Amino acid sequence: MSAVTERPAAAPARPVSPFGEAWRMFRSNRPALFGLVLLGAIVAAVGYGTLFHPADPYEIVWAPLAAPGEAEGVPLGTDYIGRDILAGLLKGGGPTLAVGAAAALITVAIGITVGALAGFFGGWIDNLLMRLTEFFQVLPALLFAMVLVTLFSPSLTTIAVAIGVVSWPQTARLTRAEFLRIRELEYVTAARAVGARNGRIIGRVILPNALPPLIVSATLTVGVAILFEAGLSFLGLGDPNTMSWGLMIGANRAYILEAWWPVTFPGLAIFLTVLAVSLVGDGLNDAFNPKLRQR
Amino acid sequence: MLFVLKRLLFGLALLVGVVVLNFLLIRLAPGDAAAVIAGEMGGASEEILARIRSEYGLDKPILVQLGIYLADVLRGDLGQSYYFNQPVTALIAARIGPTILLVLTAQLFAIGLGVFMGVLAARRPQGWLSATVAVLSTVGYAAPVFWTGIMLTILFASMLPLFPVEGMVSARFDGNAFDYALDVAHHLVLPALTLGIIFLAQYARLSRAAMIEVLGADYVRTARAKGVRERSVVFKHALRNAVLPILTVAGLQFGNLISGALLVETVFNWPGMGRLAFESILRRDYPLLLGVLFFSALMVIVANLLTDLSYRLADPRIDQEGRRA
Amino acid sequence: MSAVSPDGATPLLQVEDLHVAFDTRQGAVTALDGVSFSLAAGETLGIVGESGCGKSITALALMGLIPAPPGRLTGGRIDFAGRDIARLAESELRRLRGRDIAMIFQEPMTSLNPVFPVGAQIAEAILLHREIDRQAARREAVALLRTVGIPDAERRATAYPHELSGGMRQRVMIAMAISCRPKVLIADEPTTALDVTVQAQIFELMRRIQDEFGVALMLITHDMGAIAEMADRVAVMYAGRIVEQGLADDVLDRPLHPYTRGLIDCIPVLGKAAPDGRPPALSEIPGVVPPLHLIGDGCAFADRCSLAEPRCRRERPPLTGRRHGVACHVTAAQAT
Repeated sequence: MSAVTERPAAAPARPVSPFGEAWRMFRSNRPALFGLVLLGAIVAAVGYGTLFHPADPYEIVWAPLAAPGEAEGVPLGTDYIGRDILAGLLKGGGPTLAVGAAAALITVAIGITVGALAGFFGGWIDNLLMRLTEFFQVLPALLFAMVLVTLFSPSLTTIAVAIGVVSWPQTARLTRAEFLRIRELEYVTAARAVGARNGRIIGRVILPNALPPLIVSATLTVGVAILFEAGLSFLGLGDPNTMSWGLMIGANRAYILEAWWPVTFPGLAIFLTVLAVSLVGDGLNDAFNPKLRQR
Repeated sequence: MLFVLKRLLFGLALLVGVVVLNFLLIRLAPGDAAAVIAGEMGGASEEILARIRSEYGLDKPILVQLGIYLADVLRGDLGQSYYFNQPVTALIAARIGPTILLVLTAQLFAIGLGVFMGVLAARRPQGWLSATVAVLSTVGYAAPVFWTGIMLTILFASMLPLFPVEGMVSARFDGNAFDYALDVAHHLVLPALTLGIIFLAQYARLSRAAMIEVLGADYVRTARAKGVRERSVVFKHALRNAVLPILTVAGLQFGNLISGALLVETVFNWPGMGRLAFESILRRDYPLLLGVLFFSALMVIVANLLTDLSYRLADPRIDQEGRRA
Repeated sequence: MSAVSPDGATPLLQVEDLHVAFDTRQGAVTALDGVSFSLAAGETLGIVGESGCGKSITALALMGLIPAPPGRLTGGRIDFAGRDIARLAESELRRLRGRDIAMIFQEPMTSLNPVFPVGAQIAEAILLHREIDRQAARREAVALLRTVGIPDAERRATAYPHELSGGMRQRVMIAMAISCRPKVLIADEPTTALDVTVQAQIFELMRRIQDEFGVALMLITHDMGAIAEMADRVAVMYAGRIVEQGLADDVLDRPLHPYTRGLIDCIPVLGKAAPDGRPPALSEIPGVVPPLHLIGDGCAFADRCSLAEPRCRRERPPLTGRRHGVACHVTAAQAT
């Protein structure tokens, strides 16, 4: 968070930067703070949890489908071939979070580029790019991602890229709308008047002022990307050699009537992570738009 | 009328674009289609591969293949599935019905109940229902749909055996059309609920926000000043206006609904296109995969077109160009 | 404090010591603080004041439309046709609204529902209060549109609000308001959003309607010019209280309250120029209406008043006088 709050110092000449005020609002928003703490806890557990529970998630440690607490040292039970579920959760969270973050970055990068160009230049460029955007919105995103991942052989990189390629249109639309709004404002006209080049106006004048909604959208995109990754892994289209939460659910799905725990815990992990991310996103949204809080 | 024609043409152009893009994407991706087909047949000598290539037209330049494919599509021929060895159209025809049924049921359930909840919540912006809607929309959005489905399966399979958790029709079904419909509806409950829940909360949240805004509008005050009943103020004067943003979002959700349906169909063994999509991807059954993509895009385009039309019926301010006056 | 109607006739509407409060984060704020006035059949009462003085709240109170929560009636009576509106149940209020008391709002652009044809919106008001079938209500709506001077009424009845100009829309609002022959018509800044030439037409129409239907008109405005043109009597409001009331001629010619004088000085006078030939500067009352929760025990206008004495800040002046009343320590002696 602190990186975001320090932003105003970088752009002193622009209209009042909303970041300091936003952080103050955010701090007083309980659900958002809860989300931030939860997210921190999950990241810490995924990053350092193995220090406290140093088990190999691929090793068979007990009989298959041992209930939570049934076996010593296996607090969350075992999966359908007798592997430690807690170990799987700790190990599988890394790829899930990494793919989520990377995919969100790719989504935002493509989305902002397309949206900024369309919104700034307008005319035929806008027309072309918006038709392209509609085009990408016509294919169901998950199906499209499934095809991309399979065609280019599944790996964490492919999955992140595929998710990015199918989910950018929304960010693009949002960026375009912001650019259309901001490019008419006085300080943009002023920047033009002093002869600033287009690239500079886009990157240094308009973009910083369009950031608040884009940051919110990027945060929420992380959640969407994690859900995508989970869905792909669940279907067995993820990287088969990497432990992940979605993969654990998919692999144990056939045994749900005998054992609820191998699917429940990874699902809970995904749920809590996405919940934390979207609470933070909603909190940012409220913080940047205090007027909308009543909604 | 002019507008409808324009939208139709644009939809058609989109569809052609989708076909072209997917065709090129799949053909240019690494991997040899002939080897895939040969793999299904069991052998893969160079001689067999060559024969397969010429038989399936894979030896021609890619643009020629594209042209042939487009011409076939225009005639309604989507080719032959490598794996199932049946016409793609027949395979899809057998599966598209259940998917449409699932998607539409989930959408209607989500919009109906969601808007109702949102309207009630908007009457008391700080009330308990508003809080519930806020929590539900965050929670409903965060739970992976396939996991929700599995949790419901566990619940209903053992603890509360009210609804079937698998398939679309009972295994030993024999009865008349009415019983059949009932049986399907009974099987539909859990999949539609699972898929609908994610969207339900979103519609509730959206319609709550839209209603709060509209209920503060001057024309709502005018209606009250005329002596209109409160129920009529809310459900006629206000909702007719609040429905506009809801319609827009509903149109945009169809792609996501189909994405979600792919997962839900897998969880509940629902005999829709999801299974077909999955098989065609895993087996690299390219004609079938192209067919599945084609029909998925077609469903989204038709849904968007219908949304556009209903939006125009709902908002008299939209002019011929589709802009708001 | 009791308001007196002209000629001592029984008034149609009698408002007595009306109090309205709004619950805010700073606690309950008094929006109306002991407002009393009366309205007789066929007369026009102007209620004048700056925005935020309680004019519109008064109007909404008469309709039983104070948004609650956060608003609530905390005291007083509104006697109308032998009943106290302030104590009516919602179902009775609903029957009253539109039928006995109708209202025209400030913004014709947003006061009509954008998704229904204007004819249908008028017909709805008729159907709500009269035993009449749908077809007849439709015909009646067209006739009303003709009455308010809309050309080609038959066709315009099927038009949507966005297809009409601002003046046309306000005519539609008037048609809707008179559709059930109300006894009282409340017009809340009916011309503020319109062009000057259209303003004159709307006033002309309202006068004609009043003659034709014998309706009592309550005209709410911040514009003294409109009062001069339309009102028989006038009540000047400031910070939730009536500070001056009387016949329009008396108040305009001989304003007693310093606030009223300020309002009258705001009217630009045609043909009157300063000695150097420049048009006169619009005089403005310095300062703004104080936030309602900051008004103390004294006169709410004291801080902006050039005549204020020490006791103006300590003691709230009562409304004195029967014919031409004023709530001011300094000028009370001149009240009649």
